[in-house]
Amino acid sequence: MIANVKTISLNGIDGNLVEVQTDITGGLPTFEIVGLPDTSVRESKERIKSAIKNSEIEFASRRIIINLAPASSKKEGTSYDLPIAVGILAALNEIMSTNLENTIFIGELSLDGKINRVNGILPMCIEALNLGIKRVILPKGNEREASIVKGLEIIGVKNLKELVKYLNKEIEIEVIKADILKLFNKNYKEEIDFSEVKGQENVKRALEIAAAGRT
Amino acid sequence: MLAKRITTILPDLTFEEALEVTKIHSISGMTDNDIGIITKRPFRSPHHTISPTSMIGGGVIPKPGEISLAHNGVLFLDELPEFNRNTLEVLRGPLEDRNVTISRLYSKVVYPANFMLVTSMNPCPCGYYGSIEKECKCSKLAIEKYLNRISGPLLDRIDLHVEVKPVKYQKLNSGNKVESSKQIKERVNNARRIQYLRYKDLNIFSNAELTPKMIEKYCVLNEECKKILELAFNKLGLSARAYGRILKVARTIADLDGSNNIQKQHLAEAIQYRSLDRKYGDKF
Repeated sequence: MIANVKTISLNGIDGNLVEVQTDITGGLPTFEIVGLPDTSVRESKERIKSAIKNSEIEFASRRIIINLAPASSKKEGTSYDLPIAVGILAALNEIMSTNLENTIFIGELSLDGKINRVNGILPMCIEALNLGIKRVILPKGNEREASIVKGLEIIGVKNLKELVKYLNKEIEIEVIKADILKLFNKNYKEEIDFSEVKGQENVKRALEIAAAGRT
Repeated sequence: MLAKRITTILPDLTFEEALEVTKIHSISGMTDNDIGIITKRPFRSPHHTISPTSMIGGGVIPKPGEISLAHNGVLFLDELPEFNRNTLEVLRGPLEDRNVTISRLYSKVVYPANFMLVTSMNPCPCGYYGSIEKECKCSKLAIEKYLNRISGPLLDRIDLHVEVKPVKYQKLNSGNKVESSKQIKERVNNARRIQYLRYKDLNIFSNAELTPKMIEKYCVLNEECKKILELAFNKLGLSARAYGRILKVARTIADLDGSNNIQKQHLAEAIQYRSLDRKYGDKF
């Protein structure tokens, strides 16, 4: 069976949509990832296998082919773990694949099924919003950063087991909402101040001019 | 100690600026999930052993370097001549373009790098060249060798040079009230507002961004000022490249003063900030 899951890759500070296509058939047991994965993406096989097994889901050896489309651009990083795992579970009918529409998955897996935080969440979520995506499912440890982006349903998940239950509508996960302007306007306390520096008036004056003249 | 405090007098980040800063820090894995958005201007002070790649960014799939992490903030290079010359030369492009393009076989990325460069150095290896208190023991050759580690083009891009003199004991011990960052910031914000209003039709925000043509229009000098500038050029041996810089700095000083025109005291102060040109003449 075939399953399609969406995720986002990073190029500089811009995100690009990547589709994780999973095909599971009978035949000689293999697990291949194609679509120019680098070492960190290829290693994800082992993490995914262990994570699924340790989440009390049966994972029989089958012929599994993963394609990361567009297959012509290099993929790196550990954020593909979660979309690949979700793709496999959907292809195995462990997850209702109707619930994967309009959703982006990002996250790194531990061997025990825990979902670890990844880098670059903010630019990824901004791209998701530009693409018209409704929901982003990501590690719990990244949800505050993602909530800066308004107009997205941000779901932070702790482990694979919880995610499977959520996608099968057995449990609800609260959507994180942040009052971003309040967060932004919160006054931070400066620990340092110019009043602590005695003398050096000429240097202070130069710094004042520099601060006034530059963007 | 002084450099670190610049961020306390810079205007607060706007929401868009904060978002850009957070994006770059997010890619580098330097965000704090409890706070989410970065609201403080960044201050980066890499050690002088830093490599050119970590300065401008790089890797097989390029990651942001120190100059991008300092975007919308301050990049402080302590002991400038100790830096590898290559590391300093790579700064020249980003200082002009305010972004950096990193090309690799499989990817090409542009990272923003709009930072304020602040550096410090000693006048010579022993540290006393030009001091009135102690005599410098360095030979002419040693001083030249030391200064040669910084290229002229890089120094030309630095607008303000100041000499830091030792603080007298009486000053350290005096109970005089020293100005706080808040007071200075207020003046900075006022000057920025004047610039913003003046350039609102030009798509630029500050004096630093003035092009030579705009300088002609907005940094007009009266006859008296023209004479002072001419004198300074001939007497101090200033370079032609320093010309635009002096006028821009004079414009900023006038803005801080709330003055519409550049007056002679503004110009004189601006000329004074080319102290490295003055001190070492044509050594650079």
